[in-house]
Amino acid sequence: MAKTHKITGVKPLRSYRENARIILPQKVEEVYTWEPFIRDAARREELHNMRISIKRLRYTMELFRLAYGSPKMRSREVAGTDDKRFTEFLGVIVDLQGILGDIHDCDVVLEVLTDYGTQSEQETIAPGIAKLITQTKETRNADYKTFLEKWEHLSAIGFKQKLLSFFGAACKPKTCY
Amino acid sequence: METTAPKIRGISPDETLEVCARQIIVSYFHQMMSYKEGAKKGSDIEFVHQMRVTSRRLRAAMDNFAACFPEKPFKKHYKKVKSITRTLGSVRDLDVLIARFEKELDPLPESEQADTRKLIERLHQKRKNARKPMLTLFAKLEETSFERKFLTFFQGL
Repeated sequence: MAKTHKITGVKPLRSYRENARIILPQKVEEVYTWEPFIRDAARREELHNMRISIKRLRYTMELFRLAYGSPKMRSREVAGTDDKRFTEFLGVIVDLQGILGDIHDCDVVLEVLTDYGTQSEQETIAPGIAKLITQTKETRNADYKTFLEKWEHLSAIGFKQKLLSFFGAACKPKTCY
Repeated sequence: METTAPKIRGISPDETLEVCARQIIVSYFHQMMSYKEGAKKGSDIEFVHQMRVTSRRLRAAMDNFAACFPEKPFKKHYKKVKSITRTLGSVRDLDVLIARFEKELDPLPESEQADTRKLIERLHQKRKNARKPMLTLFAKLEETSFERKFLTFFQGL
């Protein structure tokens, strides 16, 4: 598993809100470092690493949720819109995490089945195990196709830029009040 | 199934990050430790799962907030949390595999089920072995007052 990218520029004595703008874009960039590899279904390691980076982004978004649309600090209308958009962005991230998780599960299952199949005393893989291998490969292929379609759609609508501009602009107190 | 994020109460977005970081880390830590007894018992696989997911959330918070704390003691606590995630992960991965293969059994004809049953038996044995390092780690954390030390550090007492 790839190490988390070191977060830079954090200002402990500045506000939580301000630091959200510093930290979240770095987490987005970490996810996109894996993008050059994901159009190859065989890049298991990189797909797994992207899943981990997406999970880190998700958890960081959850940590900073209060910086986006806190009704106490901003007009109810603006806060409500930001909160809705935040929920939508988070939903996309959770969805990507889920589908990449399904792909990873299939990869792990295939490894276990193959190891088990080749360890047995018989020369050929037992029929029950062979069948599971075939089924899991089919599921993996379908999951990968689904993931790639979702990813290409997000790229086409400029998801990354939308996410970055939301994180960067949505919580500037003086311009949003 | 992924857990939902713990509710963080009493945080003001305009408070300093340092103050918020302490509150968040302590809150996540309490939630993680609340699953420990269930994970030790081992009869419900959800406790290991929940504790592992919360430990990951805690680590994400610690990664993001590292700059708020003195480096050396922070790293020491971080490593302990990492070892909790790792040891729980070994058990959880096997729980997931066992559950998946048990689900796959039903649609298979009886003749093909035997092969999968043997595999499940083997995974159960592996799970039993994987629980040992987890229980050893929990015992060690208790012996060394990890919980008290962690909270003292992050609560800034």
